[in-house]
This record gives sequence, structure tokens and C-alpha cells, in this order.
Amino acid sequence: MYKVLSDKRTILLLVLPGLLIYTFAILFPIILSVYLGMTDWSGIGRPNFVGLENFKKIIFSDTTFWKSLRNAIFLALAYVFVQHPIALTFAILIDKIGGRAEKIFRTIFFIPCVIPVVVTSRMWVSLYDPQYGLINKILDFLHLGFLKQQWLGDTKTALISVIIICMWQGFGWALLIYYAGLKGIPEELYEAAMIDGATGVKLYTKITVPLLQPVIKVNFTIAIIYALKQMETVYLTTNGGPGDASQFLANYLYIRAFNSYQYGYANAISVLFVIACLAVNILFQKIFKPENYEF
Amino acid sequence: MARESSFNKKSRAVLLVVLGLFSIGQLFPLVWLIDFSLCKSGDVYGANILKIPNPPQFINYYLAWRDGKIPQYFINSVIVNVTSVLLVVLFSLMMGYAFVRMEWKWSNKVLTYVLLGLMIPIHATLLPNFVIFRQLKMLDSYFALIIPYVAFSLPQAVFLMTGFIGSIPRALEESAIIDGCGIFRILFQIILPLSKPALVTITVTTFLNTWNEFIMAATYLTSDKFRTLPFSVYNFAGQYASNYAVQFAVMTIVALPSLIVYIALNEQVTKGVTLGAVKG
Repeated sequence: MYKVLSDKRTILLLVLPGLLIYTFAILFPIILSVYLGMTDWSGIGRPNFVGLENFKKIIFSDTTFWKSLRNAIFLALAYVFVQHPIALTFAILIDKIGGRAEKIFRTIFFIPCVIPVVVTSRMWVSLYDPQYGLINKILDFLHLGFLKQQWLGDTKTALISVIIICMWQGFGWALLIYYAGLKGIPEELYEAAMIDGATGVKLYTKITVPLLQPVIKVNFTIAIIYALKQMETVYLTTNGGPGDASQFLANYLYIRAFNSYQYGYANAISVLFVIACLAVNILFQKIFKPENYEF
Repeated sequence: MARESSFNKKSRAVLLVVLGLFSIGQLFPLVWLIDFSLCKSGDVYGANILKIPNPPQFINYYLAWRDGKIPQYFINSVIVNVTSVLLVVLFSLMMGYAFVRMEWKWSNKVLTYVLLGLMIPIHATLLPNFVIFRQLKMLDSYFALIIPYVAFSLPQAVFLMTGFIGSIPRALEESAIIDGCGIFRILFQIILPLSKPALVTITVTTFLNTWNEFIMAATYLTSDKFRTLPFSVYNFAGQYASNYAVQFAVMTIVALPSLIVYIALNEQVTKGVTLGAVKG
């Protein structure tokens, strides 16, 4: 038995194909990126080694880099303080309604998350359009015409407009994760609390929210990493503009590489980007070490 | 259900209305899109928030289908996705088994190495992979998408598989081994059928992720030949810049396959999302 399960050739055969493709397309490129980040390569010709020059420039004098990071923090805050409280509330409401309605609403709220980002992004470009967009029309309809904007085209509103798209898109995700957490809380706890006379909102603030803490932490971590990784929506709506008003890291490195042909510099941004993502992951795993709740 | 017993008909009705209104709000952009995809292009400039298409302009859908090259892009999407999903399912099954059941010194270290991929953002590999694929003359081919799609889906899939295989009782395999069964027969005749729930979840989540993926497709494909479905929308923004109705029609068509898959398999999608998140 041990012989069969420890046969080296079989193990190699089982693990190697996946391992090779993973190493080839993920780990090796990251290592290459570290090297390219230390060159002044334009994408063609020979790379010229410049050491840590790019990194110094990015950290000490690239305002767009810091702006991109700041925008990601805004997005993360919007997720955590705006999207999540609403998502949690609706997860509780859906859980409460039960029956067929429960399943139907759960399905409906997740629909925006499964629609291709190209579609949702182009759709929001239309929704925000100053001439025919739905947003301005609704403002007119509500007699709030003075609030009408060039939503995506104005430095003042571009970032918030992009953040609204992201919150709309990711709402179902946040909701579904809270909902799954709610399902993990055993009925008996509510029954016991109700016998003790707890009702309504108290039931939720005293039982649901505290018991949901591990899930809330996981959901926060996911939201923050999502914010950091934001690219597609920005790329397809404002491309970071106007200026760098709605720029995000991944989109910024893309522009540097393919629009201004600063391939080496872009790779240096890419390396810092990976480091930021890893740091957030590790940090949050440390802070939010899932405690094991005994039910 | 205890939660419902405290709950009378009237407050249930209120709740239904609240949830109903909010979900209409959440879906309204899509309703708007579909509505105007059936109108004449100029109608969108009118003051109406919605408009009854009279008569519905199905020609928009015909133009979208034809000029959006929907059939060609759709076939490309199918080829890339079916291959990616099959490879992810196969590899994650094999790797999951090797990590959980086989006995080798490096098992844990290699697993950690693969799960590291959960933390790495795809966007960080866009630039170096572009250079690598260009060097290997792999740009502009199905491989340029299949390879990264498989690589990026694997960590999550392996994570789900190791969890699932770990929960399968060993008894069946033990007796199979005593009967002289080889690993591959055990894997495909015992583990594979038992792992169906996990494999379905992996299939659906991988499919949705790769089917909707755009940025890698935009970076690694330079000619029209291999482009996938999202490009129908992307190309149209320029080509039909002022014909909004046709643009909206193409968006509706492109959104449809994912929507259908999701509604048909929404139990599995839900499971995939929540398993990955809550345990991760």
C-alpha cells in the first residue's frame, strides 16, 4: 500500500503538468519582471541594466504612482464602509425571508458579478454619458438637474464615478459571502436567545454580527485586495483619466508599458504592485487570524 | 424554521417589497440597456428613462450578430474555454490527489508554492508574459490565452480539490489497492466520480472567470483571428460609435451566455464563491 502511494514516478506524473504550467505562466514571469524592472528597456532592442534607479524614481518622485495607491485606498474604504454594511444588511434580509424568495433574491443580486466586465464597463460609460446617459436623466426626472455632470470626464467626479461602478459590480460578491457566513450560524442559538426574550434587531447585534466576525474579516481582506487589484473597469471606462484622476496601479503600469514604451519602468511598478498585494495578504492573515469559534 | 416563526405575514410582505425594490435598482442598468437595444438609435436621446420599443428593432440584433463577428469570436471563446476548463479539472484532480493521498517529502512545500498563486495578481504577469510569449512566438494563438488561464485558475482549483479529497474516506482506495488497482485507475474510477460536486464547482467558476476575461486577451492577441467574445463589445465602441442601439444589442448578446450558465448552475456558482472565500 505504502509502495503504491509513494511511487515517485507516479507522483511526478500527477504533479508535474500543472506545476510546469503554473511556474511558466506565473512564477517565472514575476522573476523576469524583477530583472526587467532594473533596466531601462523600451520593449525593443537590448535592455540596459540600471539597478534600482526605477524603484527610486517611482517611490520618490512618481506622483501618479502614489495617486494610484491613494485611489485604491479610497476604493477599499468605499467597499468596507459603504458597500459592506449594505451587503450585510441585505444578506440578513435575504436569509430572513426564506423559501423560494430567498433563492431568487440571492440569484438576482449576484447577476452583475457574472456579466463580462467589458459589458458592464461599456454599459456604465453609457449610463454616465452627459447627453443621453441614464444618470443625468434620472437627475432631471427628480428635478435635480443642477447636479448633472460629465461624470467620467471631469477630474472632480471621475474617481467617485469609477468607485460607484466597482461597488455596483462587486455588491453580489460581498453579499454572497456574508450570506454564506449567516448560514453557518446554528439555528439553536437564535432559538435559545428568543427563549431568553431577545427580539428583532437585538438578535442580530448580539448574535449575528459577533458570530459573523471571522467572515467579516475575510470579506474585508478580499475587498481590500480587490481594490488594490482594480484594473479592468478603469481600463475600459476612464483609462485612469482625466489626467491621473482615476488611475489605479495595474492600469498605470499598463499605460507606462504600452503607451509610453517604458517597459523597464513599468515592470518596476509591477514588482512594487506584487509586493503591495503580498504585504496586504500577509498582514491581514496575521491580524485577522481566523479564530475557531466553538458552537 | 425558528427564524420565520417570529415573523408575521405583514412584515414578510414589507421585506419582500424592500428586497424587490433594491434588486430592481441593482438590475436597472441592465434593463435600461436591453430596453434601448430594441429601440431606434436616436431614441436614447429622448427624455424618457425607459421607452416601449415600437416596433421592436430586431435589426439591431442582426447587425450586432453580423458586424460584431459574434459567431467567429464565440467559437474562439469556446475553444479557449473548453480547453482551459478541461485542463484545470484534470490537473487539479491529479495534483489534489498527489498532495492529499500520496506520500512524499515535498508534498506540503509544493502545495504551499501552488497556493501562493492565490495572492499574486494576474496584472503583474501581463508585461513579462507578453515579452515571453513574443519571444516564443506564442502571441496571437489559442495557447497565449489557454496557458495563463489554466495557470491562474489552478491555485483556487487545487485548493478546493485538496479540501474535498481530504474528506473522502480512504476505505475504498485501500481495498482497491489491495485488489491490485493502480493509481490512475483509483484516480479515474474511484476519486473522479466521488469528486463530482467539487469538480462541477471548479468547472463553473473557472468557466465564468475565463469566459469573461478581457485584459489578457487584449494584451496577448494582436490580430483578429483568435479574439474572444468580449472583443465584440470592445470593437463596437469605435465602429458603431454613434449607433447606440446596435452597441447595446451587442452588449446584450455578449452578456447572455454567462447569464444563462449562471442561472442554470447558480447553486454551483454560489458554492464555488463561498467555499473559496469563507475557507480561504
